[in-house]
Amino acid sequence: MDYTNQKHPQNYSQMEDLKTLDLEESVSETIMRDLRMIAYKLKYVLIPKEQEDNGKELRNWDLWGPLIFCLALAMTLSFKADSTTTSSKSDVFAIIFVLIWVGAFVVTLNAQLLGGKVSFFQSVCLLGYCVFPINIEAIIIAFIGSYLPFVVKLIPVIICFAWSAYSSVGFMASLVPPHKKKLAVYPVFLFYLFLSWFSLIV
Amino acid sequence: MLDNLNQDVSILQPSLQMTDSQVQNRIRQMKMEDPDEQTCYQKFCNLFTIEYYREYFDVTTELVIAKVVNAFNPFSGTFFDIGGGIPELYGPFWILNTLIFTIALSVNIIKYMQLQPGEHFEYQFEIVPFLAIFMYLKTLIVPMIYRVALKCVSQDRLTLLHCFTIYGYSAVVMIPISLLNSIPNPAIQWMLLVYVLFAQTSFLTSNFNQELKYLPKEKKYMIVGLVAVVQITIMILYKFYFFSSFNYQQLGLVKKRMNTHILQHILGAN
Repeated sequence: MDYTNQKHPQNYSQMEDLKTLDLEESVSETIMRDLRMIAYKLKYVLIPKEQEDNGKELRNWDLWGPLIFCLALAMTLSFKADSTTTSSKSDVFAIIFVLIWVGAFVVTLNAQLLGGKVSFFQSVCLLGYCVFPINIEAIIIAFIGSYLPFVVKLIPVIICFAWSAYSSVGFMASLVPPHKKKLAVYPVFLFYLFLSWFSLIV
Repeated sequence: MLDNLNQDVSILQPSLQMTDSQVQNRIRQMKMEDPDEQTCYQKFCNLFTIEYYREYFDVTTELVIAKVVNAFNPFSGTFFDIGGGIPELYGPFWILNTLIFTIALSVNIIKYMQLQPGEHFEYQFEIVPFLAIFMYLKTLIVPMIYRVALKCVSQDRLTLLHCFTIYGYSAVVMIPISLLNSIPNPAIQWMLLVYVLFAQTSFLTSNFNQELKYLPKEKKYMIVGLVAVVQITIMILYKFYFFSSFNYQQLGLVKKRMNTHILQHILGAN
């Protein structure tokens, strides 16, 4: 494959020629390649203007991005949770982790049952990447939330929730037949609403 | 037909001849799709494919919205006329999940509003798994009770799935009421509870009434009475567990604080 036209490879299948060099490159090089891939996909998913080919890039799904964002969110919220409350830090971590993966599973299953013909992991990958704005919101509230009144805290929550929902709705709506679009979109909305509310309240 | 497969293929694409193993694969595939030719194993494993459940999710947005709007109206018995009375599971499942979320939200709001000035707000999530289990069990078991009762009066037009559908949609009244329940006034809370009880029960009974029109009176009243009794039981459990649980917890906390004070007093005196 010719790499001169691409800035960086977007998935592992384009890197077959590089595999012989893997053992000779430094660890930081390997990690940076993965991180660059995740960053590229993140920009693609969250900034709709980058999508020139109508979402075909999403066929190269990977679950590293969703895992990193899920762990980051769970760690942020459990860091912020007081250990004196009835729910300890480990409970919060477990709740968020299970919620994100089981929620993504259920939402994807719903889209498939409604007649969508998409690969299962593609949809889970997209839902995982769209958790990133909620991550941002959780970090904002964790660090400066205690100094702000409740109403001011609501503003970043609503903005990030709207951003997440808007990014994933475009993809989810394209999966199902036109008269079922809102039915496939509503569970996504509920999923991100629950996550946003959770990060606001903890 | 299957025997002529290789011949047919070679007529369409003379350059492409299937090997024997490819022919066998194709025959096996066509056999799997033919329901009469399926083996017992394949018929059982159909239960684990998604296609098996797709027929229960065969709804459009307008249909779901029409059913939800109908569920808010306790007196019209037209629920089974919408969309030809085809049972579906999309509505009940997502209404149930929305309801669980709404109740968890409103319990936390009630707790927040009851904060004393010096206290730090402690969110309460232990209630969510219990709430979820209670709601799912309720939605699974109560339609089965209805179906058994209907079978007793030998009414076979309403299948179990119809019962699931109508019971699931009847819960939609609870969603706005749970949100309104976070208003701190106890009189309003009791009134809302009575309204939900009335609305849900009369929605269910008027729809069952429509279907049972041609049965003798005693059997009809038996079914209708059963529906009402089950609803009342659930509502009472609902009110006294979920919307009062924080009261009991606060009582528990108050007792604990009193005990520690007494203990300190005793130790201090010594």
